[in-house]
Amino acid sequence: MPSAPSTYAGVADVATVLILLSEFAMLRAPLLRSQIRLYAFQSLVVTALAIVIASTRHIEELYVLALLSFGLKVVLVPSLVMRLLRKADLELGGSSALGVPSMILLAIGVSAIGFFSIGSLQVHSIALPTTALAISAAVVLVAFLPIIFRADVVSQAIGFFSLENGVSVASLVVAAKLPLVVEVAFLFDLLLAVVVFGLIMRLHHGRTGSLSTEELDRLKG
Amino acid sequence: MSVADLAPQGVQALQVLTILGGAPLVSGVISQIEARLQGRRGPRILQPYYDLSKLFRKETVVPDGSSWIFLTAPVVSFGCYLIVPLLIPVLTTYGLPLGYMGDILGGGFILALAGFSVALSGTESGAPFAQLGGSRSMTFGALVEPTILFVVFAVALLTGTDLPYALAATVRSSTSEMVRPGHVLAAIAFFLVVLVDTGRIPVETHSGTLEFGMIDEARTLEHSGAPLALLKWGSAMKQLILYTILINVFVAPWGLATSGSPKAVAFGIVSLLAKAIILGSIFAVIDNLFSKLRLFKITEFIAAAFLVAVLAVLVFYTGGG
Repeated sequence: MPSAPSTYAGVADVATVLILLSEFAMLRAPLLRSQIRLYAFQSLVVTALAIVIASTRHIEELYVLALLSFGLKVVLVPSLVMRLLRKADLELGGSSALGVPSMILLAIGVSAIGFFSIGSLQVHSIALPTTALAISAAVVLVAFLPIIFRADVVSQAIGFFSLENGVSVASLVVAAKLPLVVEVAFLFDLLLAVVVFGLIMRLHHGRTGSLSTEELDRLKG
Repeated sequence: MSVADLAPQGVQALQVLTILGGAPLVSGVISQIEARLQGRRGPRILQPYYDLSKLFRKETVVPDGSSWIFLTAPVVSFGCYLIVPLLIPVLTTYGLPLGYMGDILGGGFILALAGFSVALSGTESGAPFAQLGGSRSMTFGALVEPTILFVVFAVALLTGTDLPYALAATVRSSTSEMVRPGHVLAAIAFFLVVLVDTGRIPVETHSGTLEFGMIDEARTLEHSGAPLALLKWGSAMKQLILYTILINVFVAPWGLATSGSPKAVAFGIVSLLAKAIILGSIFAVIDNLFSKLRLFKITEFIAAAFLVAVLAVLVFYTGGG
């Protein structure tokens, strides 16, 4: 029987588990709007996690990072995608190639792979417990599922953004003292992705009148 | 002058009596809170007691062609609900003489036997809706079972045993035990299970009269008189038993008596009922916030509970539980 981790490690693990759970909730959210809200919530937890690490481990740069990720991922990106959605006048996400229960079972399997493969690496970090790394790997792997199985641009974009959340938790674990410039470059990547996905959404909607990628085969010559 | 301590057997009998006598009160308070949230005045808090005493005085009608099972099953289920409080920490932090008779799984088996006998008596009545309720409750019960198993696994990994007293003691021992992810996830999963098993809103409207959405309620449609009173009382007791397990084992095992002194035990009774009412008002709020799921969407809800329970076990294996 494993002994309990310290309170700090416990809180950090619970936060990462919350991130994973919101990823799972995105899998079953039928409304595009609720997916975006879940993404905003997930980013909020990432921000809170960064603040917790910054205050307990005395890494001042993380405060700046937390501020940036709050502004970008909790406020800016969700509101931008919401605006696009309002213009497109669509509520429901595209059909999914798998039903929700089987997708959740698949996600459990995928996250188990993430847990055990990363957990066995025994990466030790000053900032966060190893479990957080294992969970963030699971977040990244589960984020692939909506990208693969859901047939609309918004779900795929949100899947990609939340994948970035998983990666940023992993970077908090492995390299909490990463220079700020590198972290900001990560965020800049995200911004770029938002622009690209926004462009795809508008273009796709302009051409087919929907956000569903199922329409894409109509473009064949 | 100090008062003599109560004998452990006496405390154990009090555990059963607390559940027996407190269950209608907790149900009454919850339905009052629920009514207030909906802007109604609601029934009196003591209404469930009046209902029970009225039903005990009514005559019993037995459908044509039903066998002895129809009248025996309510008694069997009521007996089961009287046994479970012996096994769980209702009032004390320490195990009572019969407390180690069964572990969480043992208690689960007895609760399952109770559910099974109620479903059987519903089927025995020959009425279509009662049979539908029986078959539905068995179907969803079977789907919930894996979640409960994984919660038990998580508890076993946490404490090295699967005794409810041991988990409660572990949770009490320090804050780091409270916030460890394995425990938090197991508690959330069990919360969802309680939601399903007490027939609350995302799964079932417990106060409705629409037969199509009924699961647990439909089983007792054909019963009347004293057997119906036993079934109603039993379902109130089941609700309080599940609340007690959630509160005193997983979430807030405080306020329990550490000795047999009458004062501590009396405080245990009051604090249990108070905590159950607080938990019940959380359920009432959930009742008002969400709408009922369609019958075929309930599997998704149960899948979510299962997912949380599996994650609880998984985080233990990565060493972070």
